[in-house]
Amino acid sequence: MLDESDVRDVLAAALASGGDWAEIYAERRDSTAIHLEDHRIEQLTSNRLQGAGVRVVKGTQSAYAHTNVLRRAALLDAAKAAAAGIAGDRPVSVADLTRTEPAVRHPARLAPHQVGKADKVAIARRCEEAAWAEGTEVRQVSVSYADVAQRVLIANSLGQLADTTRIRTRLAASVVAARDGLVQTGFEGPGASKGLEHFDEHPPEGIGALAAQRALRLLDSVPMPAGQMTVVLSAGGGGVLFHEACGHGLEADAIGKDNSVYSRTRGERVGSELFSGVDDPTLPGAWGSYEFDDEGTPARSATLFDHGDQVGVLSDRISAHRIGARSTGHGRRQSYAHLPQPRMANSLVLPGSDDPAAIIADVTDGLYCVELGGGEVKSATGDFVFGVNEGYLIERGELTRRVRGATLIGNGPRTLALVDAVGTDFELKQGMCGKGGQWVPVSFGTPTLRIASLTVGGTAA
Amino acid sequence: MSRLEEREAALLALASRVVELAGRGESLEAYALHNVGTSVSAFEGAIERLTSAETLGVGLRLIVGGALGFAATSDVSDEGLALALAEARSNAELGTPDLGNVLPSPPTMLPEPVPGLVDGSLPDVPAARKVAIALELDRLTASLDPRVRRAEGVSYGDAATSVAVCSSAGVAASYSRTDAYAFVSALARSGDETQTGSGFTEGRGVDALDLTAAAREAVDRSVRLLGARKPATATVPVVLDRGVTADFLGVLADAFSADAVQKGRSLLAGQLGQRVASEIVTIVDDGRAAGSPGAAPFDDEGVATRRTPVITAGVLTGYLHNTETAAREGGAARSTGNAARGSYATAPGVAPTNLLLDHPGIDPADVLRMAGTGLYVQQVSGIHSGVNQVSGELSVGATGLWIRDGELAEPVRELTVSSTIPDMLGALLAVGNDRRWYPRGGSFAGCTVLIGAMTVAGS
Repeated sequence: MLDESDVRDVLAAALASGGDWAEIYAERRDSTAIHLEDHRIEQLTSNRLQGAGVRVVKGTQSAYAHTNVLRRAALLDAAKAAAAGIAGDRPVSVADLTRTEPAVRHPARLAPHQVGKADKVAIARRCEEAAWAEGTEVRQVSVSYADVAQRVLIANSLGQLADTTRIRTRLAASVVAARDGLVQTGFEGPGASKGLEHFDEHPPEGIGALAAQRALRLLDSVPMPAGQMTVVLSAGGGGVLFHEACGHGLEADAIGKDNSVYSRTRGERVGSELFSGVDDPTLPGAWGSYEFDDEGTPARSATLFDHGDQVGVLSDRISAHRIGARSTGHGRRQSYAHLPQPRMANSLVLPGSDDPAAIIADVTDGLYCVELGGGEVKSATGDFVFGVNEGYLIERGELTRRVRGATLIGNGPRTLALVDAVGTDFELKQGMCGKGGQWVPVSFGTPTLRIASLTVGGTAA
Repeated sequence: MSRLEEREAALLALASRVVELAGRGESLEAYALHNVGTSVSAFEGAIERLTSAETLGVGLRLIVGGALGFAATSDVSDEGLALALAEARSNAELGTPDLGNVLPSPPTMLPEPVPGLVDGSLPDVPAARKVAIALELDRLTASLDPRVRRAEGVSYGDAATSVAVCSSAGVAASYSRTDAYAFVSALARSGDETQTGSGFTEGRGVDALDLTAAAREAVDRSVRLLGARKPATATVPVVLDRGVTADFLGVLADAFSADAVQKGRSLLAGQLGQRVASEIVTIVDDGRAAGSPGAAPFDDEGVATRRTPVITAGVLTGYLHNTETAAREGGAARSTGNAARGSYATAPGVAPTNLLLDHPGIDPADVLRMAGTGLYVQQVSGIHSGVNQVSGELSVGATGLWIRDGELAEPVRELTVSSTIPDMLGALLAVGNDRRWYPRGGSFAGCTVLIGAMTVAGS
């Protein structure tokens, strides 16, 4: 993508007026997006995005400039613009570049460019038809197919050079079902850091059918009664809770600035002793995985909680510098047009020793959440909220009525302390995580988890 | 010519160069965007990040035999454009022919310009001035109240944007706009307790920013939540802060989209001419509203913007259309100038321009008095996951203050409010006269409102 001598010259120009270190991040991203709705191809889009950004860093300060022209002159202009943002007195030299090797690779067997567009449309069609086939109460089906091949080159003045290709594939179905004026929606959208071999593991028909079945099941649901109760999260279904309620608060930018509810409890017992969690970008082929983070640091797993003890953080270079540590390899950015931030990749709660069926059977009165929707958290207070897409009331140890409109609300550390059962099972789900206006792919995985008491909002009168 | 005018002229030339590549029997449209911006963030009296950004790209919409193909590229060299056109052609070959796949015909008159979109001085404001704005907002926030010793974060951002749309159907239009904003989140502490509150200021250029007001807003909103507790579960009157009203308008926006209506995804489908809200509710989409962040002379496919009432005195009076959704109605509708793209790299969908509650309103203090006892919602969280766009059921997290004897009393947190969108619209009993524009992934005008009853879940 870029010539190595150009890279060296750009880094030298970036440090012409000083700074601790400089970096260039360049990418070329080819993507295909297919959107089917209302029985037709609503959109078939090809996009080529390319560009590079130059960053000059001094302490925790950074100046950044980017361009979408990948030519020497434009890159040197960006370097000068970035250099102007950092006050220094003399030039800093650039170390010889050495290629870094990642700890793990995520190779694609069937890369997007090896498959014709007509075949990709056929994959989306199979998913769509399976959803419609679930019955006459299915009123609308939309299917989104996306593949991305992203080539990234990252080099810095400390001499590190990383070159990586990331391939991701995802197929998602969203279904609207209706009966007697009641309208409900269902969604399923597995994705992976793989090529189109992803669909061997997740056949398109299964994705469409599952989304439709979810919407249809909700037609039989009753509005959720509000109150405080025991909450059981299914394997995989609780992942977004861990992501929102703990993960964001353990990102080292919030920790280092004392902007996180977890800033003052490092090394302390926070959660129940049943609770252990990590963030692992090396998980083979997972949606949130990578070989290098977006600063060229090789991916590695970071332990966040060990039997209830808060033991780790997620950092990029600058947030690590702020807390006097080394980057954990969690610096991520949406594209060359963005600065990296410490982010999660695949956040996982580790399985425990409880039988998942017994976890439910022991509850007198509660809510079983099969799938949670998106959520939100305030890092400073730890307060979180998220919606329950599919839930069931637990009455005397049995799943009884299906409920809709439930919302879970609570506080991260206090909720962790209330985990009183962790299942032996485990499942992984995929999503897109937003922070500071940037979106990156993430996975979250959990066993079945039980929280002794949580406030549940509902729409029942 | 100013720098911005030169950039706009070059962009129009680029878009028209693309359209000249159209072959026989092909309808081709080029949407080109050029954006130059700066962002600054500050923390504890020092600059943390300074970013200079420039984005240039073009999206190609090609229609052949009624089938649509789209491609986008940020490589605007001759080779890059030719490659994008080849991609659009191969996409069109696989597309489904559809009544909706048409490009807008050129207007008989060029869209009237909207005055006041550009502060011509913005492109020449030096980075040092922008840095000083971020530092000043950081300093102000830490100086107003002893319980707020610092900001959680401060940011400044600006952009000078030019847009050009050209098509083989004869559209050729361009405009430019400038935007500047500053945002702060204040961190209030008392003992072990922490609360946050945010404030912002925005305008066309740096001189329009009121930093003191933004700092004051953030500090007041964080401090008044200190000591918040979980309230008891109850069904009570609820007053929404104007920013929360803007959030709910943002959620309601998609229900007015003709695209959502045609696909059965709108909770307002099939209700034209019917009562859908209380009589005091009039909601208007106004693409030219004075002083609004979303104002523009034409939409993202070159159709002139206008004023479209969607709810008039409680009755559903219209949907928002782009050229595609209007064409699907087979002559029964025309574009309302609501074609919208996420970026140059996406084909146009339908979105509001500036959505507002059109009502003269009463003093917000009178809105509280009307509520008597109830909940004042200062902020909601999880609104995008907590609202079912299709069924209208909603349950969101909230922080705010309890209302006693018609006045704000003790703070509350860790609660949810729930209802349905139709019930909320039907129970909207009062509108405040404190309208303010909020850029919330779109432009929405908030004002204090009273909802007769919502379920509040706490302990």
